[in-house]
Formats: sequence, C-alpha cells, structure tokens
Amino acid sequence: MSYDDVEIEDMEWNEELQAFTYPCPCGDLFQITKEELKIGEEIARCPSCSLYITVIYNMEDFMGDSDRNSKKNLEPSKQQPVAVA
Amino acid sequence: MEETERTKEEEEEEERERRTVGEVWSWGAGTDGQLGTARLQDEHLPQLLLSLDFAPKTISQLACGGAHVIALTGNYGKVLTWGRGTSGQLGHGDLNNCLHPKPVKLFETLPISHVSAGWNHSGFVSDNGRVFTCGDGSFGQLGHGDYQSHYSPVEVSFLGSKNVNQIACGMRHSLVLLKGQSGAPIYGFGSGKHGQLGVSNDRIRRSFNLPEAIMGFEDVEILAIIANGDHSAALTADGHLYTWGRGFSGSSDAYHPQLLSSPLNFTQVALGWNHALLLTDKREVFMLGGKHHGLLSDPQKMTVELHSPIQGTPYQSSDDDKRVTILAKVPDLNGIKVVQVAAGSEHSALVTVAENGDIMTWGWGEHGQLGLGDTCDQMSPRIVCLGDVLPAEQTQLSVYCGSGFTFAIKSERIL
Repeated sequence: MSYDDVEIEDMEWNEELQAFTYPCPCGDLFQITKEELKIGEEIARCPSCSLYITVIYNMEDFMGDSDRNSKKNLEPSKQQPVAVA
Repeated sequence: MEETERTKEEEEEEERERRTVGEVWSWGAGTDGQLGTARLQDEHLPQLLLSLDFAPKTISQLACGGAHVIALTGNYGKVLTWGRGTSGQLGHGDLNNCLHPKPVKLFETLPISHVSAGWNHSGFVSDNGRVFTCGDGSFGQLGHGDYQSHYSPVEVSFLGSKNVNQIACGMRHSLVLLKGQSGAPIYGFGSGKHGQLGVSNDRIRRSFNLPEAIMGFEDVEILAIIANGDHSAALTADGHLYTWGRGFSGSSDAYHPQLLSSPLNFTQVALGWNHALLLTDKREVFMLGGKHHGLLSDPQKMTVELHSPIQGTPYQSSDDDKRVTILAKVPDLNGIKVVQVAAGSEHSALVTVAENGDIMTWGWGEHGQLGLGDTCDQMSPRIVCLGDVLPAEQTQLSVYCGSGFTFAIKSERIL
C-alpha cells in the first residue's frame, strides 16, 4: 500500500542522487528518476525500507528529450540547498 | 573528524559526570550515525551507549529529528549534536555526518535553554530568549528571510526584540513560542502547504521565510508548541489542545488552529507524521489519527483495522474509510498509568509510572525502532527491556523518538 500521494512539485531534485526525493518516515528518502517519470512510473521507493509513495505528475512534462524543459518547469526553483556559513 | 579540544575544566566535569549514575540507550534506524553507537547500522534492541560523551545526568533535553539528535546539557546550557549533517543541521560548520556527540561551538559561550530537531533542520533558544537555526532552509524553515541553508546556527533576527521561550521544528516548518507576551504568542515559518503555519488561506503562497504571527491565541496561555511532519499543535495551560496543518486519518488540512473538542484535560502531546499522542491529567494516553500506525507494510492488517477500530470513545465511523478514528484510547494498557509520551514518524513510545517504570513502544517497527528485537509492527504498547544495569527503584526514565529511531535515558531519580 502506498504510504502517501505526493505531488511532483513537493519533491526536491537531488543532484547527487539524480532523482526527485521526498522524506521517508524511516529517515531516508523516497526517490524517482527523470527516466522513470518519462516512462510513466509513478512509484517512488525508499532504498532503506519497504515503503513507497505515489507521485502525482503529468507524464507529458517528462516526455521526449525534455531535460531542459523539465529543469525549467518542474524543479522547484528554490529547493537547491545552498550552504552559507 | 577532528578531535574536540578539551580544557582541564571540561575533563574534570566529565570525570564528575562519569561517577554519576545514569544510562543512555538507543535503537532503530542508524545508518546516518543517529544512534550514537559509532556504527552505521540499524539496531533492533536497545544499545547502551558507553561513550563518555553521553552524560545522562546532565542531559536536560534530547531532541531527535529525521536522522540527527540534539542534546541539551544541564551544565551551562551546552549543546551536543550527532547523526546526519548533510544539510548543516548539526551546526558544526560543515556538511558532514557525525558519529559521536560533538559540541556546537557557538553555544559554548551562549547558554541554550530549549532545542528542537526537524527533518533536516535544527532550532535553539538561548537563556535570554534569542532563537538560532541551522540546516536545510529550502522552504524558509530557518526564518532568515531567504531559502538558504546554514551549517552553523544563525540568529533569527526578525524575532530579535521578542523574548522566545520554545521552538518546534517539523519536516519543513518551524514554530516559536514567545514568553509572556501580549499579542500573538506563536509564530511560524517555512512550508505552509498543508496549513501547518496556520497563517494563510491563500494556497498560492506555500511558504514563508520570515516568522508570521499565528492568530487565535491572543488571550490563551500556551504551555507548549509541537511540530512534526506537516502537523502543528499547541497545548494550553488549562489542558486544551489546538492542532493545525495536515489532517489526521485523511481528513482535510486545517489552515487555522482548531480546538480539539474533548472533555479530557491534556498535559502532554507528541506528534508523528500521521498521528498524535495525548497524555491526560489522569495519566491515560489517547491517539489522534494513526491510520498508518503499525500498519504500514501490510494491507491485510489495514482491512482488519477498518472493521475493528481500537477501543474507546469518542470514536467516529463513516462509510468514507478515509475518516476512521478521531480520538481513541491506546489499547491494552489495562489501567497502567503513563508519565511521558513520545512519537516518531510512525511509531510511539511511552514511560509508565514507576514502581513498574517501563518504556513501552508500538507502531511501525521495520527498522527496529520499537526495540523489541525484531522488525515487526505492533498494534499496542509492548515493554522494552533495557537490561538491569541500574536498579529500577532508583532511576527515572525518559524516552525520545526521531523519525525511525528511539532514545531512552535512565537517570538517577531526584528524590
């Protein structure tokens, strides 16, 4: 059973993991890649446990060679962590 | 990891602490070092932390977040942190995980009186009422007027002139409670998507990066504020509970503080990601929400739950299976009185009244966060065996939950 339904705009792009992520209650992150989104996958899994969430998004936004497009429209603009001392 | 420089005074202090009686135990998810065991692995049974860094007698407050821990020590209000540090939430001036308790330098000369750990951010309140935050700031949850993260604590200058008493950090938001102030006593900042800031009907504006006053508490004396997941709560001095933010058990989100209608008198509240634990003046425990509680990995059990709700009233049933239980007494306590409650994201813990002072846990157990020696879920509280290193009659227990892990402190009872 899906733990939760999460809109793609509430997920954060993680450069290191190359995936959209959302907090998992175990402490790790639910993850789904752009490639998975392109082929219509809607389940984001946590690598540390059995839980998964259902990602709500428009598949068209990720179709085709749309890396640039998806970057512009889908990544939450202010969610790139920038560390400042 | 660099060695902490120790002065002679600190060494003497440690020696005194070593001679005092007390134990710190941890269990559950541990892959970010949050258990303080110096191992990066889950533990299904309570682990006694033998390091001298853990001085239970002097820990006055422990705050457990997504995968990090903040310990406030009674002596001079010093602060130790450990666990995941990848967003700067440990306040050590870097983005590293830390496997052992390490002091936050800024607070060695600035005594701290209250701390809170969110998913990936941390909040600190100083003796003189100033607030500091560090960690992930992507949603404005640090309250500095921007969306930047900080790896050393920075003062929330917007609140500069106000005297702050408490801070509560959730997944992507923070609440602060002011001391004896006329006007709004509670402010919120960070993500407000589910109403957890209690400040906006305007769904377009999802986040606030500066503290916003939460209306509706002008003439109410607030005892405590609580935040976890996308939930917020405030407990009043006369035993009433207000909640706002994400709805429990699939009910709709509350964009303004809602008074829980109940004849019960609440003395303590703990929030998870989908449930709340409420302790009453009669030392009974009630649960709000908890639809997923202990049922995460097994849809079969969920069906059973829908048809046989936990005992107790008031209870609301509906054809719409999204609204199952509103407020229910925690089952199988058989009249055992409770003195403390704690909530992880999807698990719960409580301390029962001594003589039989025990820690009990229930809920989701996949990472061993229940400390029962396995990864099973539990529908009702089970006793955790801490081992009998110290005789129970002379000690008092405290329990603290992070997202997927649990800490217990067994300290000398102050008679």
